[in-house]
Amino acid sequence: MKKTILICLLVVTSMLSAQDKYTKGMQKALQLWGEGKITEASNLFERISMVEQDNWLPYYYNALVNTTASFGETDETKLKQKLEKAQEFIDVAKNISPDNAELLVLEALTNTAYIAFDGATYGMTLSGKVVQLYEKAAQLAPNNPRVVFSKAEWDMGSAKYFGKDTTPYCKDVERSLELFANFKPETEFYPNWGQDRAKEVLAQCNN
Amino acid sequence: MKNYLALLFFFISFALLAQTTITGTVTAGKLPVAGANVYLEGTYDGASTDAAGRFSFTTTETGTQTLVVSSIGYDTHYEMGEVTYFQELNIVLQEAINSLSGVTLTAGSFEAGTESKAAALKPLDIVTTAGVAGDIGSALQTLPGTTTVSEDGRLFVRGGRAEETQVFIDGQRVFQPFMASTNNVPTRGRFSPFLFKGVSFSTGGYSAEYGQALSGVLLMNTTDLPDQEKTDISVMSVGAGLGHTEIWGNTSLSFNTSYINLSPYEALIPSTNGVRWNNPYESMAGEAVFRQKGERSMFKFYTGFNHANFDIDQEDINFEEYVNFRLKNNNLYLNANYKYFFENNWTVYAGASTAWDTNAITVVENDIETADTSLHLKLKASKEFSSRFKLNVGSEVFHTNYEEEFIANNGFDFIAGFDELLWSGFAEADVFFSNNFALKLGARTEYSNLIEAWNVAPRASLAYKTGQDSQLSLAYGNYYQNPLTQFINYDATLDYERTAHYILNYQYAKNGKTFRVEGYYKDYDNLVKYDTREPQFNSNFTNLGNGYAAGLDVFYRDNKSIKNLDYWLSYSYLNTERNFLDFTEQATPNFANAHNFSAVGKYWVNDWRSQIGMSYSYGSGRPYDNPNTPEFYAEKTKDYHNLSLNWAYLIDQQKILFFSVNNVLGTNNIGNYQYANTPNAEGVYNRRAISPAADSFFFVGFFWTISSDKKSNQLDNL
Repeated sequence: MKKTILICLLVVTSMLSAQDKYTKGMQKALQLWGEGKITEASNLFERISMVEQDNWLPYYYNALVNTTASFGETDETKLKQKLEKAQEFIDVAKNISPDNAELLVLEALTNTAYIAFDGATYGMTLSGKVVQLYEKAAQLAPNNPRVVFSKAEWDMGSAKYFGKDTTPYCKDVERSLELFANFKPETEFYPNWGQDRAKEVLAQCNN
Repeated sequence: MKNYLALLFFFISFALLAQTTITGTVTAGKLPVAGANVYLEGTYDGASTDAAGRFSFTTTETGTQTLVVSSIGYDTHYEMGEVTYFQELNIVLQEAINSLSGVTLTAGSFEAGTESKAAALKPLDIVTTAGVAGDIGSALQTLPGTTTVSEDGRLFVRGGRAEETQVFIDGQRVFQPFMASTNNVPTRGRFSPFLFKGVSFSTGGYSAEYGQALSGVLLMNTTDLPDQEKTDISVMSVGAGLGHTEIWGNTSLSFNTSYINLSPYEALIPSTNGVRWNNPYESMAGEAVFRQKGERSMFKFYTGFNHANFDIDQEDINFEEYVNFRLKNNNLYLNANYKYFFENNWTVYAGASTAWDTNAITVVENDIETADTSLHLKLKASKEFSSRFKLNVGSEVFHTNYEEEFIANNGFDFIAGFDELLWSGFAEADVFFSNNFALKLGARTEYSNLIEAWNVAPRASLAYKTGQDSQLSLAYGNYYQNPLTQFINYDATLDYERTAHYILNYQYAKNGKTFRVEGYYKDYDNLVKYDTREPQFNSNFTNLGNGYAAGLDVFYRDNKSIKNLDYWLSYSYLNTERNFLDFTEQATPNFANAHNFSAVGKYWVNDWRSQIGMSYSYGSGRPYDNPNTPEFYAEKTKDYHNLSLNWAYLIDQQKILFFSVNNVLGTNNIGNYQYANTPNAEGVYNRRAISPAADSFFFVGFFWTISSDKKSNQLDNL
């Protein structure tokens, strides 16, 4: 009896520690990202994703880390290296989790990074793709706050480019803030960013 | 027993928890690699290297493991071994061959597109450049390496005739890339630019995959997968157009149709330079692209149909009256290709293109009927053995059947024609020694059943990166081409015409600025000559002609220094002479002038929601022969000037109003002189100037795009 309990305990412990490893790893990677250690964070997410091959989240975060780091990058070679890496991880994640609005928003963001870098070169070729990604995301998850907010921010950007009024999109930003407030992540480490940025954008709206 | 078990568990847990520390250094060349990801495959255990390239981490794994070292810009390194031996490792990474920052094999070619860093033009430029009006050929004439022959409209590359440049769509030959036209009525390309994602224009030194072109190749690729469904409507001063794109998952279809009729325009602003239109140019055209993407394959089908007709009276120095010319042209082109990507890095490509082209021409009541059926089949396999070595081998068959019947108004009837089968094979290897040094080596061989002889053409190019943003390239190649239809039609014993290219290129690109300079020498041999004024059935043809072309091309583009302004400058210097056709001695032909310069600018005015474009081109005088002097081709026409403007106004995001004026100043440009065949009573040969049918051209268009996102527009099609 004791032996059985001991074995059970051991098995449970090892299972717990396996799960723990994932949680710890993800926490550590997010912490590194928070500290601005982009390479270390990206590397750790990459190591986790190589083990957890059925989980789209580590891939998602690795792509997110590389995409956000590429905004403001001035060296085109480095920019493309980061964004191509991001796209690679998005592609794998989409295979694991098809029809996932979070991944479509991230892909739109990755393409936006190219346009932000050089609008004349990438604007005409990629903006159609970005629009299509947001549309598909909105069909899949019309009440996802990131979908609503990212689409609104993109629409404001293109309206500004064409010298149009941006205020019609402010109500979308407002709606996204309501959705952010009521958003419940499906799982641990489920994407949960965007609220702060939405507040900033809304503040500009009210100016 | 209990104690024994407890002890066992203790040891097992101990073994499980026993940790090994793995340490080492990662370097590339002599320098440390910081930020590399070092880990045991299949585990969380790993670390990133520090600024000195050092790493250290602990693991509880035991036995044989694989250590992975990966870093952006380097080939991933794998090391298998006992964990305990992973101590103070010295790992040397090989730099990955990078198509973005590495050296590229680009001598001689200009690209339009976003894919390549060698891109000189962006897809948009084809349509937003003043004076170009969506014609791919005209856009390329703003690049160096071409000469301005404004009354013709085709591409004249580095001292070569227009026929020396071939056009390919998705790797397949286009047999009649330009609209049917007549003397001094400039032609346009048959394609609408927005079905293509990229254009690569090579003015020399091109790959062994392309043959039957002495001077240049224009490679156009249709778009892979369109982003969204949309409908494009255009209403223009010269006609109307309709386009639509439909997408079903990985399958999509785009079509584009247009109707052009110059009657209203000619009624309002008649052409004045020695022409009278009885029935101005009218054309009906349709194009379609179908694409299907599979898991590992891509199928594309492109087709274009075009019907054109016109009836024109043209001045001719040899006749009192204007000479009547009537033409009806039908052209159907089909192009299908299939690509399959195998898991072992082999790619197989199979393609076929075919064209049916018929002309019914009437020149002063003499009828000429021509029918041309052409076919191109291509099978190609390429393998990427590593990022450092690529191989490309293939075989092609070209079949041409040409028939021409001439019926004179006096009843004289002459039928000519030929049937040709040309086989070719090519092999080429790309070798990247490092990110700084690359070599392309290839050869092409051809056999024509008409010429009954083989030709073998070696090709080579070398590229060396001289700095972070600059590179130096060298290219050499031999090029063969069959004699033109109108010669081989009368004499099938003619041999291939031949040239050799020697090219030296320097390119610098940084922060939106591109500078390139290219020097070249071309050696022509075996050119066709004949002993009559015009090639005809009783001429004596030989291959005794020859010639050379040497020159310098300079290009500079800057889209960053001044906000909202994008501009480029091109200059070409050309020194060429040849003895060919009916030439009595070596001379510079009429289509080759010494200096060509063009400046193109585009300015986006945000407050006006407008893009304003300007382009100016200059060409020095073109040589012509004056039979009143003993010298041959010794005189030159006056210089060529053309200032064009355009204005695109965005009414809203999907509606655009577009105005353009070609040759605003109305400069009367003279390309050549036609001299009388016989002298007049005073013993002088009379002449008349040859100019484009009209000096200036005005265009107004309204373009409307209907798409679900309400954002796309046709600014990229104008």
